[in-house]
Amino acid sequence: MIYGLGGALNLAYGQMAVMSAMVVLFAMDAGVPALPAVGLGLLTGALLGLVLDLTIFRPVYRRQGEARVLLSLLLTLGLAFVVDGFLTWRIPFRGLTLNIGGGPIDILGVPMRRGSLLASAITILAFALLFAFFRTTALGRAVRSVIEDEQGARLVGVDPRRMLRLILIMSGFLAAIVAVTRAMVTPVTVTLGFEITVFALIVTVVGGLGSFPGALLAGVILGIVNSIAASYIGTFLSLIILLAAAGITILLRPSGLLGVRE
Amino acid sequence: MLEVTGFSAGYQGNDVIRDVSFSVNEGEAVMIIGSNGAGKTTLFRSICGLSPTSSGSVRFNNLDITGMPAQRIVRLGLGFVPAERHLFPRMTVHEHLALGAYPQRPDPATMTIVFDLFPRLGERRRQHAGTMSGGEQQMLAVGRALMSQPRLLVLDEPTTGLAPKLAQEAYQALQVLRRQGLTLLVAEQQVPLAMAYTDRGYVLENGVVSLEGTSAELAADPRVRTAYLGVT
Repeated sequence: MIYGLGGALNLAYGQMAVMSAMVVLFAMDAGVPALPAVGLGLLTGALLGLVLDLTIFRPVYRRQGEARVLLSLLLTLGLAFVVDGFLTWRIPFRGLTLNIGGGPIDILGVPMRRGSLLASAITILAFALLFAFFRTTALGRAVRSVIEDEQGARLVGVDPRRMLRLILIMSGFLAAIVAVTRAMVTPVTVTLGFEITVFALIVTVVGGLGSFPGALLAGVILGIVNSIAASYIGTFLSLIILLAAAGITILLRPSGLLGVRE
Repeated sequence: MLEVTGFSAGYQGNDVIRDVSFSVNEGEAVMIIGSNGAGKTTLFRSICGLSPTSSGSVRFNNLDITGMPAQRIVRLGLGFVPAERHLFPRMTVHEHLALGAYPQRPDPATMTIVFDLFPRLGERRRQHAGTMSGGEQQMLAVGRALMSQPRLLVLDEPTTGLAPKLAQEAYQALQVLRRQGLTLLVAEQQVPLAMAYTDRGYVLENGVVSLEGTSAELAADPRVRTAYLGVT
C-alpha cells in the first residue's frame, strides 16, 4: 500500500508484516487474548516503521532522485535477507493463524468464509480511512505534497523529513494489517515476507509509482486475476500469471495505470 | 527588510555567486537582472533556503536566516516562487492554495484576493496542476505563495515560457500586489519588462554584482542598454 511513496522503495516491507505477525503469535502463546495481541502486532508494525526511519532510511533520505531509490533498495533488501534468515533460523516452522469462528455465511447465495469477509472488511476500511486522510486532512495533503514535489513542499512550510517519517510509520502499521488480515485466511509463516513484498511491489508498479488510486485499482485487478488464476489453473502458476499480467500492463502503460508520465 | 551581505553560494565548493550584497526595503520592488547563467537562480535558491550557502549573511526583518531551511523561512513571511515552480502535478488548484497556508487553515480572505487577482484559478479550482498551461501554472505558483500571507515575495523569472502578453499580465498582477503593500524581489531576463515595474535593480554578471541603481538609472546606463536592452 504505502510503498513507493517518498521516492524510496522498501523491500523489507513483507518482513515488517511477518515480524508483526510473529509478535501477535508470541503474545497469544503467552496467553494474551487475540484482540489485544493483534493490537500489539499493529503497534509493532508502526514501531518498526519508526525504527527503519531512524536507522537505515536516514542516509536514504539524504539523497535525491535515483540515488535515493537505489540506496533504499540496497539497504532494505539487505535487511530483508537478515530478517528472513534470522526468523527461519530461530523459529523456522511457526505461522500465525487467526481463526474466526463460525461457519460460512451466504452472501447472494455464495458461501463466504467468515475470515475472508472480516479480512476484506478490514482492508476496505483501512483503505477508506487512508483515502480520507490523504484527501481531506491538512496533514494528509502535506504528506502528498512531499510525495509530489519535495522542494515545493518545503516552499509551503512542510518539513519533508517529518512527513517521510510519518509515511514509514503508516507503512509499517499497514504492513501489520496486511499480516493480520492474511492470517485470517491462510497462515502467515516466517517465509512469507518476500511474497508479500513482491505482491506489494507489483501492485505499486502496475498502479503507478506513488499513485494512491492507482495502487487501489491495481490491487483490486491483480487480486481478481490472482484468485481466478488460482482456482482455475492452480496456485503455483497463479504467481506466474500475476507477473505476466503486471508485465503486460507495464508494456502498455510504462508509467503504470494511473501514473504520471515524467 | 531583506539584507544580503557578502553572500557566496554554489554547488560542491564551486561558488556560482561570490560576495554578493544587496538590500530590499519595505514596500519596494527590486529586480536582479542578468543573462542566463549569471547566478540569479542560485542566489535566490540559497537565500530562500533551498540550496546551501557558502558564506555571507542574509537578514530578513532583522533576523538572521542564513542557512535556515526553506520550510522555516517561509513561515517567517518570505514567500518564494522558484523558476521551476515546484507545483504538485496530481493535486488540484484548491489543494495547492490550502497547502500554501500550511500549517494554518487557509484564510478565506486571502483566497479571495488570489482568485480576484487570477480569475483563471477560480474557474479551475478542481483541475490538477499537471494538466494546466504554463501561464496558469505560474499563476498557481504565485497564488500558492500568497496563501502564506508573505510580507516579501521573491520571484525567480516569473515570465519564463510565457507569451509576451501573458508576461505583461504577470507584471500587472504583481503591480496590484504591490499596491496592497507587498514587497517584491524579482529576478528577470526580460529586462525591459522588469524595469518598467520596479524601483531599483542590481545587475548580476558571472556571479557578482556589477552595477546597481534605480531602474531608471539602469535603463539609461549605456552598458545595460547594450547588454540587456538590445540597444546599440
